[in-house]
Amino acid sequence: MAVIGEWIRRLGYLLRRRKWEDELRQEMDSHRAQMGAPPAFGNTLRLREEARDAWGWRWLDELAQDARFAWRTLRHSPGFTLTAIVTLALGIGVNLGMFSLINGLLLRPLYAGADDVFGVHNRSTTPSGRNRAFSYPNYRDIREGTTDIFANLAASFTGFVGLDFGDGARSTYASAVTANFFHVFTAPPAYGRAFTAEEEQPEAGIHVAIISYSLWEQHGADPAMLGQHVRINGEQFTVVGVARKGFAGTSIPGPGVWLPLGAHETFSTEDGTRGTFGTREAHRLSVVGRLQPGMPAETAAAALATVGRRLEQAFPSINAGYSLVISRPSGRLIFMPGGGGALTGVLLMLMPAIVLLVACLNLADLLLARGYGRRQELAIRSSLGGGRSRLVRQLLTEGLLLALTGGALGLLLSTWATEKLLASLGPMLPVVVSLPDVGLDWRVFLGTVAFSLVATLIFSAGPALSLTRRAAAGDLKRHAGSEGRERAGAGIGNALVIGQIALSLLLLSSGGLFVTSVIRTAAADPGFRLDGGLVVVVDPALAGYDEARGRQAHLALLDRLRTVPGVEVVTIGSRPPFTSSGDSRKVAPAGADESRSISVGAVFSVVGRDYARVLGLPQLSGRDFRDAEMVAGSGERVAIIDDALAEKLWPGAEALGRLIQFLDAKGPDARQPIRVIGIIPAVKHSPGNPQPYPHVYVPLGQHYESAMTLQLRVAGGVSEEDMLGTISRVVRDVDERLPVLSVTTWRNHLNASLDVRLQATGAGIFSAFGGIALLLAGLGVYGVKSYVVSRRTREFGIRIAIGAHPRALLWQVLREGGRTTTIGIGIGLLLALGAGQFLQGILYGVNSIEPVVLVTAPLILLASSLLASYIPARRATRVDPMVTLRSE
Amino acid sequence: MMLVLRVLKTQPLHGYAIAQRIHLLSAEQLRVEEGSLYPALQKLLIKGWVKAAWRASESGRQVREYRITPGGRRQLEAEMTEYRRMASAIGVLLDDA
Repeated sequence: MAVIGEWIRRLGYLLRRRKWEDELRQEMDSHRAQMGAPPAFGNTLRLREEARDAWGWRWLDELAQDARFAWRTLRHSPGFTLTAIVTLALGIGVNLGMFSLINGLLLRPLYAGADDVFGVHNRSTTPSGRNRAFSYPNYRDIREGTTDIFANLAASFTGFVGLDFGDGARSTYASAVTANFFHVFTAPPAYGRAFTAEEEQPEAGIHVAIISYSLWEQHGADPAMLGQHVRINGEQFTVVGVARKGFAGTSIPGPGVWLPLGAHETFSTEDGTRGTFGTREAHRLSVVGRLQPGMPAETAAAALATVGRRLEQAFPSINAGYSLVISRPSGRLIFMPGGGGALTGVLLMLMPAIVLLVACLNLADLLLARGYGRRQELAIRSSLGGGRSRLVRQLLTEGLLLALTGGALGLLLSTWATEKLLASLGPMLPVVVSLPDVGLDWRVFLGTVAFSLVATLIFSAGPALSLTRRAAAGDLKRHAGSEGRERAGAGIGNALVIGQIALSLLLLSSGGLFVTSVIRTAAADPGFRLDGGLVVVVDPALAGYDEARGRQAHLALLDRLRTVPGVEVVTIGSRPPFTSSGDSRKVAPAGADESRSISVGAVFSVVGRDYARVLGLPQLSGRDFRDAEMVAGSGERVAIIDDALAEKLWPGAEALGRLIQFLDAKGPDARQPIRVIGIIPAVKHSPGNPQPYPHVYVPLGQHYESAMTLQLRVAGGVSEEDMLGTISRVVRDVDERLPVLSVTTWRNHLNASLDVRLQATGAGIFSAFGGIALLLAGLGVYGVKSYVVSRRTREFGIRIAIGAHPRALLWQVLREGGRTTTIGIGIGLLLALGAGQFLQGILYGVNSIEPVVLVTAPLILLASSLLASYIPARRATRVDPMVTLRSE
Repeated sequence: MMLVLRVLKTQPLHGYAIAQRIHLLSAEQLRVEEGSLYPALQKLLIKGWVKAAWRASESGRQVREYRITPGGRRQLEAEMTEYRRMASAIGVLLDDA
């Protein structure tokens, strides 16, 4: 208590210090007057200062003093200040950019009060412990039985729908939710309203929707959007709300649209649960709730278990063997598709740190070089009684001022860059989702301050200590024996330059590896002809078409496109080339071969006639599908397999005519014998795969998928780009309502695929970082060389005076620069080799030792560092001996 | 600081008077320098052991008068007990030697 009171008084003093000081002066004046003449009272100013020190604010005064002095000093050398600030802005900016991404995706809770939000799971009590989803009646019983535990308990299920704002349907991630869903996350819609209890009823069928903030922005951010109609899977919905900015529920990326649970029939129900949604057997919902305020999680778990046991007793046929448990939902989740996501994440965090390190080394250099110029100033201040700690503090304050200014600039820079990066990520995803808001929050601001402080410590502590040590040693004697010490100073500078060059080389060569990978990917042989190909992606289900109408639409399109002039051949397939997502099957021999217990995982595609022809693949044996096999319910089940699959199922033997079966298929496809009627060469479905993956193709008539890709090959001499317009028009003429997801060339399709785009983004980021590091290293070399040359003007002057050729001096400076650079490159190459080992695992077609990269990157560095030393070297040759010698 | 608190214990005083009083009470043996008095007074203010108020003195001059607080009295008690304990210990030691 006493301590708090003391600090309150201290603070009160700080706030009204002028008044306090006036009082102190008056008091002392009065004291002096009372003492009578001659006053034996000491120096009032000093006495006042001593009295003032009692309040313990002296450090603050000195800090303010230091800051004012630093500001004046920095203003006097705008060149240095600008360089330092830009260096820091770049170094801190890249860190902040990465940090705000990581913050947005990983650190920041997705919603307020995340600690009280728990997922409820229906866990099997068998050893497998698998979770089952909830049926609506089960969910309602749990909700009603736990009102004292959960303030709100919501249920939802998700899926993809076709969302059409009147400009064509787009595949959109959607979530059907209960009325209280938004309450659980304390995130009521930004505009409009949440869903009502009536809309939640399973039989309600009320067509209302809440769209995500980013979708609303994409469609003009118009407040009049509320009450407007959109089509979802072909049915008309009224927009009643716009979700809060960045709201994603429990997932990143979040849904683009929310529907009330009562509109569940709109979701395509391929699993055959249509009409059964409201029954206790239809387990489709996931449940999440917010605990009552102050409710401990353990109490909630125990109470929930009781409710679970009651449910088991009430409906043993359905709920026996399932208990209720809670768990924390992954409220902070990074979205990283494909393998190597975690590795990439670590790399992404590591790289900006290296850039900042390079920036700091660079600044340490600059400060050291500048510091030697200020030795006299420091020496004078120290001889006038400036303590070493005070001098160090002064230098650190200067650094801090620079770092904070640079940090503020870096914050602007990173905000801009992150927005760019996110904007480029958006269209990369094949579907509409809402990306989290990665904007500024207190963490980013705190991050700015932290990065600035760390930077200050790194770049200015060392120089400050080393400089003041000299100052204390008394550097007022200008030249006596100072050469040796200057050499030592240059030695530190050179070490810093070596560090910078090594780290820059690391970043440059890593960037080089990414770029190499992107180039190789683009040039990779997919196993079929890329040019002359077009793709048209359609999905009739997004317009609400059922299987019969969908099949009709597919065939109509095929027929119509065959007649377009310039189109050589057309086919249809469930997987366009280079789609990493999709179906696969466990394929095993059937019939007479069934005893051989072998099964092979194969990519499963539904295709039309001419599939191999469109891809430019030869028919190795057997035949193609027939037109009769394009319609449903046609005769014997048949399949075409590729040679990779054939070789695995029947090594060295003829596969044609044999029977296969799918071990993991459900419904009518399960374990049906399928005759192999043709064999074609294997193709790659992902640019990252070194080996072609086995494929099995079944004809259009024997399996229905709504989303299909029409694939065309144009006739020789026809430009595929020219055909795009024609094809789009033809497709629209065939069926105006049919959702067309894309019309593009194969090559663009490949380049737009997620794997490729991720690598390209990686290459962009690495190259940018490498470039920044190169720039910084160049500046560092320049700074150190300039300093060295300016310090040695006297030496050069004497040497010129006694007959040295200017060119010899030029060479000497260049040679010294070259030596530093070479050592740096040597260390950097070792680092780069290590990074190569690491990157080899996550990049396509890259070896840990890439000669092109390992030669080019050092050469670029060598060239730029020689250029950076050339300018100061030239200055050395222009030294006028008379001027230097006279300055003695 | 103990001495200042001690003279303030009986009556509120201003700075000059405190110095005078200490001088007098110590039978002119002790002199408190201004350089120690004012920092000490500021410290006492921080600790909350005294309070200050401006007042017109008998001579009509504006003076700042310091008044001991209950906390200051407790502190003085504690310090005096401690001082007596130390003084008697030292006394015993010196007498024995």
